[in-house]
Amino acid sequence: MDRRFPFKVLEHIFSFLDVNEDRNSVSMVCKSWFETERRTRKRVFVGNCYAVSPLKVARRFPKMRSLTLKGKPHFADYNLVPDGWGGYAWPWIEAMAARRPLLEEIRLKRMVVTDECLEKIAASFRDFKSLVLTSCEGFSTDGIAAVASTCRKLRDLELRECIVDDLGGDWLTYFPETSTSLASLDFSCLDSEVKLSDLERLLSRSPNLKSLKLNRSVTLDVLASLLRRAPQLVELGTGSFSDELDPEEISKLTKALSELKQLKSLSGLWDLLPEYIPVLYSVCPRLTSLNLSYATVQMPDLIDLLSRCSKLQKLWVMDLIEDKGLKTVALCCKELRELRVFPSGADLDETDVTLTEQGLVSVSEGCQKLESVLYFCVQFTNAALVSIAKNRPNFRCFRLCVMEPFAPDYRTQQPLDEGFKAIVERCKDLRRLSVSGLLTDKAFEYIGVHAKKLRMLSIAFAGDSDLMLHHLLSGCERLKKLEIRDCPFGDTALLENAAKLETMRSLWMSSCFVSFGACKQLSQKMPRLNVEVIDEHPPKTRPDSSPVERIYIYRTVAGPRQDTPEFVWTIHKNPEVGVSRLSIR
Amino acid sequence: MENSNSYSPYSSSSVDSTKPSPSESSVNLSLSLTFPSTSSQRETSQDWPPIKPRLRDTLKSLCLRQRRYNTALFVKVYMEGVPIGRKLDLSTFSGYESLLENLSHMFDTSVICGNRDRKHHVLTYQDKDGDWMMVGDIPWDMFLETVRRLKITRPERC
Repeated sequence: MDRRFPFKVLEHIFSFLDVNEDRNSVSMVCKSWFETERRTRKRVFVGNCYAVSPLKVARRFPKMRSLTLKGKPHFADYNLVPDGWGGYAWPWIEAMAARRPLLEEIRLKRMVVTDECLEKIAASFRDFKSLVLTSCEGFSTDGIAAVASTCRKLRDLELRECIVDDLGGDWLTYFPETSTSLASLDFSCLDSEVKLSDLERLLSRSPNLKSLKLNRSVTLDVLASLLRRAPQLVELGTGSFSDELDPEEISKLTKALSELKQLKSLSGLWDLLPEYIPVLYSVCPRLTSLNLSYATVQMPDLIDLLSRCSKLQKLWVMDLIEDKGLKTVALCCKELRELRVFPSGADLDETDVTLTEQGLVSVSEGCQKLESVLYFCVQFTNAALVSIAKNRPNFRCFRLCVMEPFAPDYRTQQPLDEGFKAIVERCKDLRRLSVSGLLTDKAFEYIGVHAKKLRMLSIAFAGDSDLMLHHLLSGCERLKKLEIRDCPFGDTALLENAAKLETMRSLWMSSCFVSFGACKQLSQKMPRLNVEVIDEHPPKTRPDSSPVERIYIYRTVAGPRQDTPEFVWTIHKNPEVGVSRLSIR
Repeated sequence: MENSNSYSPYSSSSVDSTKPSPSESSVNLSLSLTFPSTSSQRETSQDWPPIKPRLRDTLKSLCLRQRRYNTALFVKVYMEGVPIGRKLDLSTFSGYESLLENLSHMFDTSVICGNRDRKHHVLTYQDKDGDWMMVGDIPWDMFLETVRRLKITRPERC
């Protein structure tokens, strides 16, 4: 008797699986499950574009409708990866264009995307709906124009923090007059001006537009007119908020904003002037997300705004909020789930900005639902960390950046080991952690022992020795991404824990003590890892003991990549060194 | 432990003796003391603290920064009739008087503001709108914000 489920039944069951992790598990059960799963997967996610070949992915998932790719390592966001390293979208676009013409959505993060790529997308996918580029570079507004003009069903066009060769605002005119499908438009990272009339016309004919993020060049005096044409907006990113308005204009803007009955998310607000804060009062009570990263408003003006945002779930703000402002948040924003506080640099000017560890303690006390934090602060204490951990054991993401490297607890002069110990002990669901301040190997021993669900860990200026890395690699079972800069160790721990690296997506180490010899050894020992040595200024001769500037190690089934620039060394460039078993499929 | 910026990042007892010590290595290890802990170094460091480029650029142009008192403001200075110009750091002057004094010295002639005079060179400047204006009409602070370059005109010219 055939005990297997009929294919159709299995297929139906799998159609309920949304989460790719589940799908990955399911596909490892047996061959028929693998086959069934792959034939039903619509949304494909590839966390490292070099881990697998585009051809393989295209062939494996015939029903693919959405492709998400990530390219450069995370530290590329902070200028630690030299230009030209890689992460090219082209091979993927080319492969999908040839084999998966029904693809509707492409989401790329930290990749190099050229105008050629964008033109290929426009030309190849007739039902193309959604293009989301995050932290990408390499293209110009001409490429955007190509997508806008050719993709008739375009629904989302989002350029999030990309570096674009901005040739002017003409690209906006390329949306056909007949297109009405636009639901999301984000051009906040572009510099040049778009024509008001073009934008107004586009808004007027886009009844489905739910998310609009303008760039800084859109001045305040035209905002009211734009908003009147898009009262259905759920997400708004304004342009500049500092231009001079006369009372009548202010009144019109206030009214236009109050008409946005569905508005939940507000961002942009460049250089927000305190006198314009009342204009925003009408939207505050409904807001679930507020991004004040570019709003240079200081205290006490911020209180007027924040005290009205009782439904706020996500708040991004500069340290101008100070401890006082965070106290208000703790009192008024009881729904808060995510908080990010960025450094304005005001402390460098000796302007009086008092943001200390106390601010985060207040929020952790008052906001029961808080689960994700990114906090930049000049210095910290163990006591504060212990309080925070006690108050909020539900943290999933805890990123603390103590900006003074090697800064100890400023009250006790001790390392921050005990503080982070409290965090990892109490927050059992912690997925992502960034540590900073003065830390010894002990801190990492605690992390290795307690942070069992940790997936991503970022470390800078910490530790004493190889033990640090050893604790992490042998302890953190679920660790997928580890990025380390300026820590004093390398070789021994790396070589001892080489096998662990195959269970991770990637490991990045820069300005540590990793020797060239260790890199060679690791490459020879682990053929399924790509070990990249990235040295912008390589020495003329490389003795085995010489330290490397950066090392990037990632698992791959695609073998060595063919597009490495000169400054990236891999063992495959030195065939005489020898590799024990090359597996290229 | 003393609270100073010169923390050694590792205790000597746990350092592997076969590792290159900072003095031996050929690569500048940005560990320890060369690290941007002083404020001016932190300002110029491009990779610490870890914030994205766009935010970093925005912060540079923040209104609340009182940068004009801390940074140099170099402008080109030309004397009419002389093809090769000079460069001058305006932030080193306290006001118009010291600027004129210095220019007079630099070009070995007498330079003044305002009223044309057959004997003296008159100082003009190009503002951020591109217009050429007479130096001395607006307050010094305002002048610093708008000046783009300087020109010393020949006598009898303006």
